[in-house]
This record gives sequence, C-alpha cells and structure tokens, in this order.
Amino acid sequence: MLIVDDLHAGYGASEVLVGTALTVKPGAVVALIGANGAGKTTTMRAVSGMLRPSRGRVVLDGKDVQGLDASRIARLGLAHSPEGRKVFGPLSVEDNLLLGAYGRLPKFLGFKSGAQADLDRVYGLFPRLKDRARQAAGTLSGGEQQMLAIGRALMARPKVMLLDEPSMGLAPVIVQEVFRTIRRLKEEGITLLLVEQFAKSALEVADYAYVMERGRIAVEGTPEELGRNERVIAAYLG
Amino acid sequence: MNPSIIGQMAVSGALMGLVYALIAYGFQLTYATSKSINFGQGELVMVSAFFSLTLTNLGLPYWLMVPGGLLFGALLGLVVERAGVRLALEQKSEGWILLSIILGLFFFSAAENIWGRDDRPFPTPISADPIHVFGVDVTRLELSVAVGVLAIMGLIELFKRRTLLGKAFEAVSADRDAAELMGISATRTVMLSYALSGVVAALAGILVSPITTVGPTMASALILKAFSVAVVAGLDSGFGVVLIGMALGALESLASFYLGSGWREAPGLTLLILALAVRPTGVFGKAVIRKV
Repeated sequence: MLIVDDLHAGYGASEVLVGTALTVKPGAVVALIGANGAGKTTTMRAVSGMLRPSRGRVVLDGKDVQGLDASRIARLGLAHSPEGRKVFGPLSVEDNLLLGAYGRLPKFLGFKSGAQADLDRVYGLFPRLKDRARQAAGTLSGGEQQMLAIGRALMARPKVMLLDEPSMGLAPVIVQEVFRTIRRLKEEGITLLLVEQFAKSALEVADYAYVMERGRIAVEGTPEELGRNERVIAAYLG
Repeated sequence: MNPSIIGQMAVSGALMGLVYALIAYGFQLTYATSKSINFGQGELVMVSAFFSLTLTNLGLPYWLMVPGGLLFGALLGLVVERAGVRLALEQKSEGWILLSIILGLFFFSAAENIWGRDDRPFPTPISADPIHVFGVDVTRLELSVAVGVLAIMGLIELFKRRTLLGKAFEAVSADRDAAELMGISATRTVMLSYALSGVVAALAGILVSPITTVGPTMASALILKAFSVAVVAGLDSGFGVVLIGMALGALESLASFYLGSGWREAPGLTLLILALAVRPTGVFGKAVIRKV
C-alpha cells in the first residue's frame, strides 16, 4: 500500500510537484496519466527517492519513507522501473535480474540459488530473456530491455511497483505485448502504479486512475468515471 | 647495441612498470564508481609503505606485515573518500580534485614529520639474487612485483565478476541511479572503491619499496608515471594499464640506459602528451576524460 500526500518536489528553484496526492491500495493497478510535463515522472522519482521531496509525505506499507535514500526505500519494498528503462548495459541479462533481488540475496557467493525461483518466474513471463540470459543487456532491443526492466523490478518481490512509461519508444505490437504483461501481473495480484502516455490502454488495465495537470491531481476516479468525464475525454482520450 | 642488454633492460623495466600499472588501476577503481580519482594516490603509496616499514621494524613477520599494510591502505582510502570526495560529489562539484591534492600534501607533511625526510631501506625476506629466465636475469624481488600486481588485480576482477557485491559495484559504474533503485547504496559502493584503491596503493608501496627504498619523495615520482599510464590506457581497462604500464617501464629503463638517467622521465611525459593530443579517451578507453 502506497499513500502520497501533499507532495512537493522539483529541480533547483523550479517546483514541478505542487501538492500531489494519491493512494495505491494493495493488489490494485493505478494509472497516472496526463500531458507531457504535468509531473508524472517527477512524482515517481519523488516517491522512490531518486529526487528528494521538499515537502509532503510518502507512506509505504505504514512507514514514512520521504527523504530516505532511494536504496533504503527500495529495500523497504518499493521497486521503481524508471523512465528510459535504465538497464545495466555492460552487465548480462541474468546479472541485471539478480541485481533486482540485491537486497535479500547473500552478497558474496551462493546468491544465484537464492534467486532461482524468482529467475524462473521472470523467465516464465519473458521466455526471450532466458534465451538471452548471457548477453549484455545493452545489446537487447528496446522491447526486450523493457521486459528486462520489468523483470528486474519483479525480482525484488516488491510490495509496490512503479512502472514509468513502459511503452516509450516501442513499436505498437511491442506496446501491446507490454500491456498483456501488465494484465498478467495484475492477475497475479501485484500492486502497481503505472505512468503512461497511452491513456486509453492504461485506463483499460487500471482499477483506478489519476489525471495530473501542472504538478497536482486534477481529476481522479475509476476508469468508467473518467471515461464519462468530458474534460478527460477531450484532453486525453479523444 | 647488445640485444641481450636491451632484453635485460626491457624486462626489468617492464616489471617495474607493473607498479605504475597497479597505481593506475587504483585510479580506475574509483573512477568507475564515482567518476573521481585521488590525485594524492602517490602519497597513499608512500605513507602505506612507511607504515609497513614501521610494522616490520616492530618485528612483525613479512606475511603479517603485508595484510597490516593493506588494511592501513584501505583505511587511508576511506579517509580520502570521506574527507576529500564525498561532499564534493554530493554537490556535483569538481572540488574533489583540489581536496584530494590537499589531502596528499597533508599526508606528505605528516610522513616527513613522523618518519623523516631521508630515503630508508625496506627490508624483505625475498632475495635480490638474480635467477636466469629465457636468457635474461631477473631477481626474485622483481618477480614478486609481477606476482603481487597480477594477483591482486586478478582477485579484484574475480570479485567484480563472481560475487553479487562485485556485480553491484559494476552496476553503480554503469548507472548509479538505477543501482540505487535496486537497493544498492551508491555511497557505500564508492566507499568500497576507495578502500580497494587504498589497498592496491599500499600493495604497490610494499612491492616497490624493497627495490627503490622508501622516502617522502617516492610519491611524486610514482604518481606522474601512474597518471601517464592511466591516461594512455584509458580509465576503464585493467588489461590496458598492465600493457601500457609494462611498455612504459621498459621504455624508461631503455631511455635511461642509452640516453642517460636524465632522460628517464621522457618516455612517460611524451606518451602522456601524445595521448592527450591524439586520443584523450586512452588507447583502450571508452570513458571520456573530462578536461578541467
């Protein structure tokens, strides 16, 4: 469960978030949509600790985590698959996945056996990653790198997962595949906050959605409610 | 020119060059995690060597003195990270350049005050008698340099590839932000890289001192050559520094033999200037060295 309240954050003097608030309930898929520059990615970064919020609260599973280092927040159970995927290019696909589970594995030897069940699960979801397990992640195609970024986040067995723009820069057929994966994760009961440009696809898979405008939440509701909202239709679904 | 003398000079020069390679490797370790290097690395070599000499004079056997010296080097590396690098990196400033130079000057003065200004012999149980290999004479001491350098580099590379902590080290090098999102503390990884860099500096001091003696001025002599090696080889190829280090050592030794000892520094500086002019990323390098 993730609760964000009155979140303020920005870069230098310019404040991007001016009081964002949202809630992700356990087992829910929540979509965060909005125009470019509305503050969706900044919200994700402020929640996961990549960016230090200047004000506000982030509560992960009952614990205040705002202001902590990103690595601490990650070990407390938040997995953030960032915009642009950010896989470790020189490392192998399997090493990328193993590092996803870094927090709970032995740090020297015997780490692979500790993560075998999770590796099998991710390889089950993305058989192509298994074929390329030994390949350097930087040599994968954009779609494969996105699968790897999602798989790497799953390896952490997160309480809450943040998924930022998984469709960015991908061919339409790959985008469909990404959304099929998200639907599958939803069936497995994962708790997910999803940022997406493709508002329509995001609303199809989400249980609840927030629309961001200029650093705060402008509209919220179930996908059905948003689908009836004239303003939302005109701006994002038209 | 007698080919056997050329061979002899080249081989003992190349073995000495491995010491430059090891110090340059220390630059690579910290550059990988933090894009910073310790400009006072030569002083770390020197102070650790003096400390190891003190351990020896206290009666510690060689095989206990070595780990003691390496541990001391690791501590010095951590001091440099904490006092000279961390604050600058947090503020995304290049202040670590000046701070690491200042810490080096501080270590230099401290060493002069504690151990004096004179060069002192560094006793070792390894014999300096030459043995004959492939037509050239090498001493066991020179061989111990090669074995020590290659062993520690091999161990560290093995650590990076085979342990999860080592993979985390590589992950921070590849993408610091993404590594943090995996739960890897970038700060602690940078600390680890500085500790390892201190360990290799200390080992360089322990290996080279029996051959060259220990003295406060050894720092500046070594750092310039290590820096040449790092710039020529690039900041991300361990194999590159070994190769360039050996080549530089051989060239130096030949230059001082054939042109006179005043020319000893010429090859290193020539290579440095050539590399900066022609290929600033280094022969084996991918990372661009920022000009500051």
